[in-house]
Amino acid sequence: MSLLLQCLVDAILLGGLYSLMAIGLSLGFGVTRIINFAHGEMIMFGAYGAYFASILLGVDPLLSLPVVAVLVAAASALLFKGLIEKVLDAPHINQILLLFGIGLVLQNVAAILWTGDARSVSTPYALTAFEFDTLLVPHGRVIAFVTAAILIVALFCWLHFSELGRATRAVAENGQAATLMGINVSRMYMISFGINAALGSATGAISAFLLTVTPFMGFHMLVKAFAIVVLGGLGSVPGTILGAFALAFAETWVSYYVPDGSGWAEGVSFVVLLCVLIIRPKGILGQAVAVH
Amino acid sequence: MQARFVIYALLAIAAILLPLVAPPVMNNLILRVGSLMILAISWNLAANAGLISLGHSAFWGLGSYAALLVANRLGWPFFASLIPAMLIGAISAAAIAVITGRLRGIFFAIAMLALSEGLRVIAVMTPEFTGGGAGVFIDQALRPSTQTVAMVTAACAVGCAIIAYWISLTPFHYACRAMRNNENAAEMLGINPLRFRIAVLSLSGAMASLAGGVNIWYSGFLDPAIGFDLHVTILAQIAPILGGIHTLAGPIIGAFATIGLSEVTRVMVGEQGFSLLVYGVILVFSILCMPKGIYGTWLTWSQRKRQTTPTAPSATKAATP
Repeated sequence: MSLLLQCLVDAILLGGLYSLMAIGLSLGFGVTRIINFAHGEMIMFGAYGAYFASILLGVDPLLSLPVVAVLVAAASALLFKGLIEKVLDAPHINQILLLFGIGLVLQNVAAILWTGDARSVSTPYALTAFEFDTLLVPHGRVIAFVTAAILIVALFCWLHFSELGRATRAVAENGQAATLMGINVSRMYMISFGINAALGSATGAISAFLLTVTPFMGFHMLVKAFAIVVLGGLGSVPGTILGAFALAFAETWVSYYVPDGSGWAEGVSFVVLLCVLIIRPKGILGQAVAVH
Repeated sequence: MQARFVIYALLAIAAILLPLVAPPVMNNLILRVGSLMILAISWNLAANAGLISLGHSAFWGLGSYAALLVANRLGWPFFASLIPAMLIGAISAAAIAVITGRLRGIFFAIAMLALSEGLRVIAVMTPEFTGGGAGVFIDQALRPSTQTVAMVTAACAVGCAIIAYWISLTPFHYACRAMRNNENAAEMLGINPLRFRIAVLSLSGAMASLAGGVNIWYSGFLDPAIGFDLHVTILAQIAPILGGIHTLAGPIIGAFATIGLSEVTRVMVGEQGFSLLVYGVILVFSILCMPKGIYGTWLTWSQRKRQTTPTAPSATKAATP
C-alpha cells in the first residue's frame, strides 16, 4: 500500500514537469501547424543556462529561470524569422527536415562548446525531502511541480485573458479568418514560437536540479514529449496535460513494479506512442489527424 | 541511350570488382560509400511516397542484430545471415506502415523517431538475448574477409540502384508520386495508399536492414548505441537530400558527396560532434537554398542552358542575310 502511495505521489510530481515539457510542443503545432523537432534543444539550452548561472554566478535555477526563458524566447523568435518562416508554405517534408536539421545543429554546437560531460546543479533543496511515515517526498520535485504548475496557469491566463493570447488562439483556430480579423498572423507565429521555446527552456531550467544536463538530453525528452502530445491529441492543451500525467503514471508504475523497471521506463513512451497510434490516433482530446 | 547503359553496367561491375585490386585501406571507404548508398536509396524510396523517416537507424539496427544473432546462435554464415536481416527489416517496416497507415505524414516521422529509440531500450534491457549495453562480438570463425564484405556491399548497392531504377519504370512510381502530392486525390484515382505504403516501406526497410546486416560482418562488434545510432538516421537523410531528393541519381551522388564531406571534416577537425554539426548545417542549407539537391540543381541548370543554346545560333543566322 505504501509503495502504491509512493508511486502515485512520484507520478503526480513527474507529471507536472512532463506537462511543462510537452505543452510548448503541442501549442506550437496548434498555432503554426509545424512540429518543432528542435524543441528538445530548447529544453537543453534552458538547462545549460540554469547550470551556468548557478556555477558562474551562484544564482539559483529558479531565479535564473525567467532570464533564461526570455533569452531563449528571443533567440528562437529570431530563428523563426530567419529560417523557419521560409518553409511555412513548403511541403511538410521540408518542414520536418529543416526543424530536425536545426535541432542537430543546436545539439552539436552545445556538444562542441560544453563537451558531452554530464553535469548537474546542486541546490540546497535537491537532496532533502518531506518524510511522512514511510512516504518520501523530495523537496526538489515538489518545487519543480509547483513551478511547472505556476507557469502552466500563467500560460492559460495569457491565452484566455490577454489580447495577444486570444489572437494566438484565433490563429490556431483558423489562420485565414484571423487574418481577416486584422491579426498579423506572421507576427503571432513568431510570438508563439518564442513562447513555446520559453516554456521548453523553463522545463530545462527546472530539470537542471532534477536530472543530469548533457547536450543530448533534448533528444530523449523530445521522444517523451511526442508520446505525450500524441496521447493527449496534437494541438490540445488540456489533452497534453492529461497525456503528461498518463505517461508519468505509466513510467513510474513500470519503474516500481517491473523487474529492472527503471531501465524499461525509458521505453514506456515508445510503447504508449505505438498503442495510441493503433487504438486512438487522434489522442484523448485530439482533433483532426486524417491525411491532408 | 544504349551506350549510356553499357557505361553504367561497366561502372557497376568495376565497383563490385574494385575491392579485388584496391589496397585494403580502400575497403573501408567502399564499404561506407556502398552502405550509405543503400541507406540513401532506401530512404529516398520512402520519401518518394511522402514518408519522411526520422529513424532509419531502427531498420539498420534490426538488420545488424538479426545477422549477428543468427550467426552466433545458429551458426549461419555471412550470406545466409543477410536473409533474416532483410526479412526483419521488411516486416517491421510493414508493421509501421500499417500502424501509421491512415494518418498524416507527420505521424510516420514521429513513429520512426520513437521506434529507433524504443528498439535501443529493448536491446539494452534484454542482455541475455542481445548482449545488452556491454555489446557482443560476432563469431570470429564465421567472418569473411573484409574484401568479400566490401564486394558484397558494392553488389548490394548496385542491386538497390537497379531496383530503384526498375521501380521508376513501373506504374508504382507514379502512384507513389501521386500519393506524395495529394493522397486524397490519389485515392480517388483508384490508388490504395495503404497497400502502396506497405509495399514501398517493406522494400525500404529491407534495404536499410540489409545495409546494417552487411556492416556488422565488417565491424564485428555491436551494442545498442552502435546499432541504433542517430548518426545512421542522419546520414540516411542527408545523402538523398544533398544529392537530390525524389530522383534516381540523387542518393548515389549524395552518398559520395556525404562521405567525401565527412572525410574532409574528419581530416580537418577530427571531432565527432563537428561532423554532426556539419551534417546539420548541410541539412538546413539544402532545405532552404538547394531543395532539389546537387542533381536537381544541375538538371535545372543544364536544361536552362539547353534551352538557351539552340536559340543563339538561329538568332545569328537571322541576322546574317
